[in-house]
Amino acid sequence: MRSKYSAFAAVPYYVWMALFTVAPLAMVAVFAFTDESGAFTMEHISRVGEYTNVLVRSVWLAAIATAICLVVAYPLAYIMSRQSGAKQRTMVMLIMLPMWMNFLLRTYAWMTILEKNGLINRFFGLFGIGPFDMINTSGAVVLGMVYNYLPFMILPLYTIMVKIDDRVIEAAQDLGANPLKVAARVVLPLSVPGISTGITMVFVPAVSTFIISRMLGGGGNLLIGDLIDLQFLGNAYNPHLGSAISLVLMVIILLCMSLTNQFGGDEEREGMLV
Amino acid sequence: MSQSTIISLRDIVVEFDGERVLEGLDLDIHDKEFVTFLGPSGCGKTTTLRIIGGFVAPKEGDVFFEGKRINDLPPYKRQVNTVFQRYALFPHLNVFENVAFGLKIQKLPEKEIRPRVLEMLELVGLKGFEKRGVNQLSGGQQQRVAIARALVNHPKVLLLDEPLGALDLKLRKEMQIELKKIQQSLGITFIYVTHDQEEALTMSDTVVVMKDGDIQQIGTPEDIYNEPQNAFVADFIGESNIVPGIMKKDFLVEFAGREFECVDSGFAPMEQVDVVVRPEDIKVVPTIAGHITGIVENVTFKGVHFEMEVSACGSRWLIHSTQSEAVGSAIGMVIGPEDIHIMKKMEE
Amino acid sequence: MKWLSRTYVWVVMFFLYAPIGVLIFFSFNQSKSRSNFTGFTLDWYRKLFANEIILQSLVNTLIVAVVSSVIATVLGTAAAVGINSLKKGPRALVMNLNNLPIINPEIVTGVSLMLLFVMFKGGLGSLGLSFEFGYTTLILAHIAFNVSYVVLNVLPKLRQMDQFVYEAALDLGCSPLSAFFKVVLPEIMPGVLAGFLMAFTYSIDDFVISYFVSGPTSQTLPITIYSMTRRKVSPEINALSTIIFGVVLMVLLAVNFHGARAERAGRRRGGAAA
Repeated sequence: MRSKYSAFAAVPYYVWMALFTVAPLAMVAVFAFTDESGAFTMEHISRVGEYTNVLVRSVWLAAIATAICLVVAYPLAYIMSRQSGAKQRTMVMLIMLPMWMNFLLRTYAWMTILEKNGLINRFFGLFGIGPFDMINTSGAVVLGMVYNYLPFMILPLYTIMVKIDDRVIEAAQDLGANPLKVAARVVLPLSVPGISTGITMVFVPAVSTFIISRMLGGGGNLLIGDLIDLQFLGNAYNPHLGSAISLVLMVIILLCMSLTNQFGGDEEREGMLV
Repeated sequence: MSQSTIISLRDIVVEFDGERVLEGLDLDIHDKEFVTFLGPSGCGKTTTLRIIGGFVAPKEGDVFFEGKRINDLPPYKRQVNTVFQRYALFPHLNVFENVAFGLKIQKLPEKEIRPRVLEMLELVGLKGFEKRGVNQLSGGQQQRVAIARALVNHPKVLLLDEPLGALDLKLRKEMQIELKKIQQSLGITFIYVTHDQEEALTMSDTVVVMKDGDIQQIGTPEDIYNEPQNAFVADFIGESNIVPGIMKKDFLVEFAGREFECVDSGFAPMEQVDVVVRPEDIKVVPTIAGHITGIVENVTFKGVHFEMEVSACGSRWLIHSTQSEAVGSAIGMVIGPEDIHIMKKMEE
Repeated sequence: MKWLSRTYVWVVMFFLYAPIGVLIFFSFNQSKSRSNFTGFTLDWYRKLFANEIILQSLVNTLIVAVVSSVIATVLGTAAAVGINSLKKGPRALVMNLNNLPIINPEIVTGVSLMLLFVMFKGGLGSLGLSFEFGYTTLILAHIAFNVSYVVLNVLPKLRQMDQFVYEAALDLGCSPLSAFFKVVLPEIMPGVLAGFLMAFTYSIDDFVISYFVSGPTSQTLPITIYSMTRRKVSPEINALSTIIFGVVLMVLLAVNFHGARAERAGRRRGGAAA
């Protein structure tokens, strides 16, 4: 439906985006490069350097979590994509169900499981071992990330794999490829767009989280998100520094996305956000 | 046939993204006629139809409807209705609601709508289908709904944009006959767009042959077929052999290495021309009796006739004949004066 | 091979559901311990339903979700109509802007909107008007990230729609506006509804953005959950999790059932047309 009138229907939305998408981000940029009086300064941007260890830790933990998600999700997505229609629907539902639970509750669940007198330590206690320090470690943070974001990896992979025609796989087998070769030569190349979407959808929230680290990481595993939170709502109140860190976070994410987009289009993202 | 003009297009120019689709088109359409716009894709026939429907605004030129300029009249205020390509039925409405749509928009009383819709459904042969969802219908049935939906509003002109394009051959032939009948019984103007020359010849009172945004020829199907005005029309309307020739003088043309008598005149002496000969107008005779001698390259059985590809005098000729000749054999070809059509060379 | 993949699916499902199972299990525990089951009780549910703060935040959440997703649906549907009529170049630009809140980390969207509202407050304050963080900021912020999903859901439906259906309505006497309501809107309704539902669930579930823009008087449920997990142990959270899980499960089952039925109906219809 295209008429000369329809173009005007989007005008309110353009105004809206200017006010609530562009203007706020522009303010972040302005705040990052100014001081309280409004004068230009590089002070805040250069101060971000003091937190290099936090930046590195965030990227490192998020990368590990993303890698684990990919390794765990890939076979599962493939298995799902080769099931009958009804089974596929049920499995997709089972994957989505935990996603719809608020992530605070999901993370809270792990708190109760990992803590010093939590379930796991009690279990080990039955055999006289432990207790182990599991909560408040970087491992617990990675676990929290994997647990929360695993569905974000499974669903895009599944969506792309389900489009791979059975006959293509049969053709490969017919031409003499064993299951391993089929996986490497046919399924893998065809699922690249799903991989790159999945990586983005896991890495972006993981690298910017501040809840998972706070609930499972204790005080010693500060991430970029925690830093930003501290500057805006915490004791360190300094929105200029907070904006500078936010800007750096956006740059990190842009870099990550341009890296993954090299391997496949991001066309498929639209329908995968459920 | 009444000769009063119902629609006139004057000097119509249309551009899409800076590209000219129609260049100064002039056309008069007479009342109660079945007019067909015929041409290859991209020739501007659909655009011309959409100008009449009000969906495309010409950049230059005027559109007149019964003498009134209607350039700025939006589609929903025009007294024409359209049968769209691939039907464009409303998927959320059933057959009855689809057909009643236009009448409901006009806010006619329910008791007037119902009989009109039922009458129209009967006309198109869909009696008893009122409650069906349109997605449950076959292609041919959907087509009938689309026609009923347009006609129920009693338009003065019905526009049909390749309406039969999505149907299979047999159904298409049936619908052609039926459409013609409907047009005659209602006595309204049909403007029909197609790229199928056979369809155009079967149904139309007048055929408008178009190419590259220009009208090539306007005439009755017989005129268009028998007296094509240029090689494009000749080639597009049925299969043709088109060879270069030289007009020696009036009624004498040289091609294929010899002179032929013909019925055309009015060309400059020694003018370069295109010579068009229909495949069915070439008679096959023994070599001694022929004007030209050729070698049969290929023979295909076409049901009613055989189609032979023959090479003669450096060109390829198509011949339709009820008798088959062996591939590789030499045959004679005879072409009568009235079967030779001389055309001006096309400007390239 | 078969049993291997089946085992794998079960292991992943166990990983996804075990923590939720633990949460649910201990919601019926008499003692406050998160690892020692001392006896069955429904006390925590009783306490939950007597908890004013939680009930009020639930009401807040629903108000914000309904208002923001309704506005986002209207704004986003109109926007999609306009965007659909754009040429390729401008459309790509608008879509990139539209996707910005989706791609951007939530925390950056949150702090950027917070900056905007703080400035807004300052500006109005200097005019002698008062502007407090609360419903208004929450609703504006929620629309800001919701509306993108509406656009993404409606746009493909418009693109799939037979262009001529709209023209057919005009041809039969509809003005452009009535053609939109009579013909186009019913056609794209599934996309509009999907967009609305997505906006609604994202709004209910949102913590990060609400965290930065909510005032002291307008806490949403996720914010209340967050402060509960920060304070002392209370199995009320477990009870709340159980209820939320039950609601989500029922909604998903209903949607899934409806989807399966629609699909079967579609197959039947497709079969008749063929």
